[in-house]
Amino acid sequence: MNPLTELHTQHTRRAFLGRGTLGLGGIALGSLLNAQAGKRNAIGGQAGLPHFAPKAKRVIYLFQSGGPSQMDLFDYKPHLTKRFGEEVPESIYPAERKTTMTSGQASFPCAPSTLKFTRHGQAGTWLSEPLHNLAQVIDDVCVIKSMHTDAINHDPAATLFQTGSVLPGRPSMGAWVSYGLGSGNANLPAFVALTSNGRAKAGQPLYDRLWGAGFLPGRFQGVKFRGQGDPILDLYNPAGVTRDQRRRMLDALDKLNSDQAGRFNDPAIATRIAQYELAFRMQMSVPELIDVQREPQHILDQYGPDATKVGKYAYNCLLARRLAERGVRFIQLYHRGWDAHNNAPKEVPAQCLDTDRSTAALLLDLKQRGMLDDTLVVWGGEFGRTIYCQGKLTKQVYGRDHHPNCFTYWMAGGGVRGGMTYGETDDYSVNVTENPVHVHDLQATILHQLGINHERLTHRYQGRYFRLTDVHGKVVEQILA
Amino acid sequence: MVRIIPLLATVFLWSMASGAQLDFARDIRPVLSDACYHCHGPDANARKAKLLLHDRAKALEAGVITDGEMLRRLTSDDPDERMPPADSNSPLNDADRAKLVEWLQTGAAWPSDDRHWAFVPPKRPRLAKVQGADWTRNGIDHFVLAGLEREGLAPSPEADKATLLRRVTLDLTGLPPTLVELDAFLEDHSPGAYAKAVDSLLDSPRYGEHMAMGWMEASRYADTDGYQNDRLRYMWVWRDWLIRALNDNMPFDRFITEQMAGDLIPDRNFFTQVATGFNRNHRINSEAGSIPEEWIVEYVADRVETMGTMFLGLTLSCSRCHDHKFDPVTQKDFYQLFAFFNNIDEAGLGPNNGNSPPFIEVPKRWPVLSAEEAKFVVPAPMKIKVVQTSVPRPQPGATNTVMVLHELPKPRDTYRLERGQYDQPDKSERLHPATPPVLGPWNDQWPRNRLGLARWLVDPAHPLTARVTVNRLWQRYFGLGLVKTSENFGVQGEQPSNPALLDWLATEFVRLEWNLKAMHRLIVTSATYRQRSTTSRKLLRRDPENRLFTHGPRKRLTPYAIRDAALFTSDLLNGKIGGPSVKPYMPPGIWKSISNASYKQDKGDKLYRRGIYTYWRRTVPPPTMMTFNAAAREICTVRNDLTTTPLQALTMMNNKTFVEAARFLAERMMQAKGQRPRQRVAEAFRRVTSRAPRKAELDLLMKDFSFYLKDFRKKPNEAKRLISVGEKLLNPRLPAAQLAAYALVANTILNLDEAITQN
Repeated sequence: MNPLTELHTQHTRRAFLGRGTLGLGGIALGSLLNAQAGKRNAIGGQAGLPHFAPKAKRVIYLFQSGGPSQMDLFDYKPHLTKRFGEEVPESIYPAERKTTMTSGQASFPCAPSTLKFTRHGQAGTWLSEPLHNLAQVIDDVCVIKSMHTDAINHDPAATLFQTGSVLPGRPSMGAWVSYGLGSGNANLPAFVALTSNGRAKAGQPLYDRLWGAGFLPGRFQGVKFRGQGDPILDLYNPAGVTRDQRRRMLDALDKLNSDQAGRFNDPAIATRIAQYELAFRMQMSVPELIDVQREPQHILDQYGPDATKVGKYAYNCLLARRLAERGVRFIQLYHRGWDAHNNAPKEVPAQCLDTDRSTAALLLDLKQRGMLDDTLVVWGGEFGRTIYCQGKLTKQVYGRDHHPNCFTYWMAGGGVRGGMTYGETDDYSVNVTENPVHVHDLQATILHQLGINHERLTHRYQGRYFRLTDVHGKVVEQILA
Repeated sequence: MVRIIPLLATVFLWSMASGAQLDFARDIRPVLSDACYHCHGPDANARKAKLLLHDRAKALEAGVITDGEMLRRLTSDDPDERMPPADSNSPLNDADRAKLVEWLQTGAAWPSDDRHWAFVPPKRPRLAKVQGADWTRNGIDHFVLAGLEREGLAPSPEADKATLLRRVTLDLTGLPPTLVELDAFLEDHSPGAYAKAVDSLLDSPRYGEHMAMGWMEASRYADTDGYQNDRLRYMWVWRDWLIRALNDNMPFDRFITEQMAGDLIPDRNFFTQVATGFNRNHRINSEAGSIPEEWIVEYVADRVETMGTMFLGLTLSCSRCHDHKFDPVTQKDFYQLFAFFNNIDEAGLGPNNGNSPPFIEVPKRWPVLSAEEAKFVVPAPMKIKVVQTSVPRPQPGATNTVMVLHELPKPRDTYRLERGQYDQPDKSERLHPATPPVLGPWNDQWPRNRLGLARWLVDPAHPLTARVTVNRLWQRYFGLGLVKTSENFGVQGEQPSNPALLDWLATEFVRLEWNLKAMHRLIVTSATYRQRSTTSRKLLRRDPENRLFTHGPRKRLTPYAIRDAALFTSDLLNGKIGGPSVKPYMPPGIWKSISNASYKQDKGDKLYRRGIYTYWRRTVPPPTMMTFNAAAREICTVRNDLTTTPLQALTMMNNKTFVEAARFLAERMMQAKGQRPRQRVAEAFRRVTSRAPRKAELDLLMKDFSFYLKDFRKKPNEAKRLISVGEKLLNPRLPAAQLAAYALVANTILNLDEAITQN
């Protein structure tokens, strides 16, 4: 925080503490001094934001790490069954953009999905069998079959989805949102990240940069809620130390630090005092937040048996709803294990077994509480998978390599049209034939639903204004309600 | 006409405020650059109009500057006419618009030498004339005082001795002074006491460790490759070289030359070869399936960008995809710089764990080498083996190797890459190594390779290298550089707050033959640095960032120094210098929860090494360091943000390292014989803050101590749990309740703002 801002902080701190609105998302006083700030009911954030009335107040992004197989889940290609084992023509799949895991293969045989597809909902959306829970709420979902990306390897591809660039150093989407809109809860971070593993395989690694602040001030980075140890790093008092002792120590610190502040007139000291108080409030509020046992049994049942197991996807989904209820702006889940190089017919359903029930439960739960209207839920990974088989093809077993040219995402709630399928792919699910949606378009659309013009949420760094969508991105108007 | 009134008012205000003539390079071009160059600037592909405002001849030829057209477009009320357009993402604020208007109305002077200030080599300014010359101690103070006197301000008195010693000890070594050092300094009343203390700090081996840290962050030094599975690499030998070079006070021109071209210099040897690891510290992608050609381009571009940020203070990365939108660096310039680094015998895909070629074997006795061992070694050429169908991997270098630069017998061809894409070379023109002419002349005596490039960088006539370097030194001490945007001296960067001081420092650096320690000494012995850091609310409002230096620097410690200082004051610090990285405490599952690697924490003394040696996994960096805004070391970073968050409070209060430090500080308190509790607490306070507590402070801490003691006497088990945090064994002879109560007091002291701050 720059000293000028801290000066403002010092002047206004007392008032804020009185109202209990000091946000973890930082005390961006520029905007609090702004006349509009009061109307937004947010803590921090940039002046002039949101740019227009938002449809969504918050985002829950269910990132499926590893690259889910579009043709085994959403992108139904029934006529391919008869092309089993035929060579995928090079005119359809050119050699240059194959990864070096398969580019040296002697043959690229077509591997149609063995999974059964049926139509669901009033809209008649095609879904494969392992998504039978999602099928129950599919009329709230907009399926985008025409996603495409620039990157072919996990690391750059995931980094592109989360930060708008394949190279590190840029802020993640949640950091941008928290920077732009501020926090909705005085005792919790504006941006939370949660991770879980699939049962089938270890899965692709994740990287701190995916929820990092990049060149934005560090306070905008996602706070990771953890599956082991303290739910937030070092949240709990050391062994043997009671809350009363801690309170006493904080009172002493407040006194001693305030005395220093008076001597040096350094506003940084006042900020530090306030952050200690906020830390204490987090210590008190987080245990209640993560105590999912307080949920009624029917809700726990809805999310499935993993709902109370810390660190599981189902638990994270339920926690996401609890965070959303408490005003957390951007909730980013990551579930690993979608990288089906070896045995897609087995691995894809296994991933669904971990995720399908609780994903559907989350949508239903939000809907029952009337929160789906202003919560945007986004589902998808970093790329799709090849129609050609990686390794040996049999009737029962096929592997699929990375595929950037087309894959499926879906969105629900937050002002997005339910019961619709958008975009089309060719007969092989290799290229987009209709309504392509690039990563930057998806990002522009997510920001748009939050009331942000993606071209105007910028931060000056290295002498230029950066934004999430770089110099690209077009809002996908056709899918908006 | 309605608009004119506020506009004129702004002009009036601006003139009143500045009291100076408009200067094209200083006042006008930055505004044009910010608001107009996007469409009327150097990037040929982005131009929206024929009018060019970055090229003097073309702009004057167009006539709009003198015929009133530009003025009309700037002041028009018609949204179709008014510039910049309403939908532009580079809005022009009223003050800047007023500047342009005034410039146009007063003749639009555009001198023929209109070079951006930073591209004109620094000329040594005469020492500024000042009234209060008694205050000055060296050249720095003349320029600072001249600035203060211009503003009708006076400097602050010198800081008290204890504060000063703490400040300079932390600044030069990253650790606070010991009580022995503090007492010796307080008792030394000779006029040379401070200079003597500074000399001994500059001689301390802790100096090299502390100074290495910033260089390591900028050089993106790490122990892993940085992509996906984030495979292991072994580069600590380069870190050893770095610490030693700094402690030996290697002249900075030599320091750069060895790192850029230690394999090409005439007197090359094993050590200079190790130095070239600087240009191998970038990330390397080892993800199976990656396309090698794509990633070689990334590595080479990373070297260019790192050189740009560290030595030139320019954002060359912009020119990778298109002509720079603001600075006169074309895309072709970028790829000509690229050609200097495109000759390394390296692989696009890293091995699965281990160093990526070229690497050399490090003798067992490193760093003490025999004459034979100290000779230059030719690395084994790269050998590719195809695995997993078609994944081409090079041979991995084992733990006893270090990555270096080594030229290919025949350089790779370099072309301009369309949009920076590896698979879109413009084959119409093969490019050769060359530097952008605008950034300084090339001497034909220099070889057209990295060695020549290094010579160019450290040529005394170079406009940027010395300026950028002294600016970063200044930033270390005062929190902000004289050019605040220390990573960007280009047209879009900030103007220097005190240009004469910057140029004097830059020329002084060259005059002192690039002597780094001499520059550090110059800064810390200046009266400017030695000022008290207290200020008034009035001054704070007038100059919130202390750009005028009305008072001394007050700043939070670096993430590394915060941990080191806590270990040091509790006597836990293991002072061993150099060697492989170590793995101190880490919360459970930090690696495992998001990757396929597990963190195997070290045991014993290795837990207490300085932070510079902490194992750095790039995709999951040590969270405690990151909480205090360490650079992630994925890309070159020369300026860290100093945000304050509640996570920092949680770390300082509850993290195992800091709680263990508190309980050891408590042990220290109890070990002193014959002291009363009050003395014990006072001494611990002084160990941490370098000053004795005031009576009220001590009263408060003692009251808390009694409370905690009473509490823990009632709960002996809780006391035992607290004093068992951490792996260092407890002294069983000390009474548990007392130790626990002291530990909470120590925890309080270590959490003071003052404990992690230099006053």
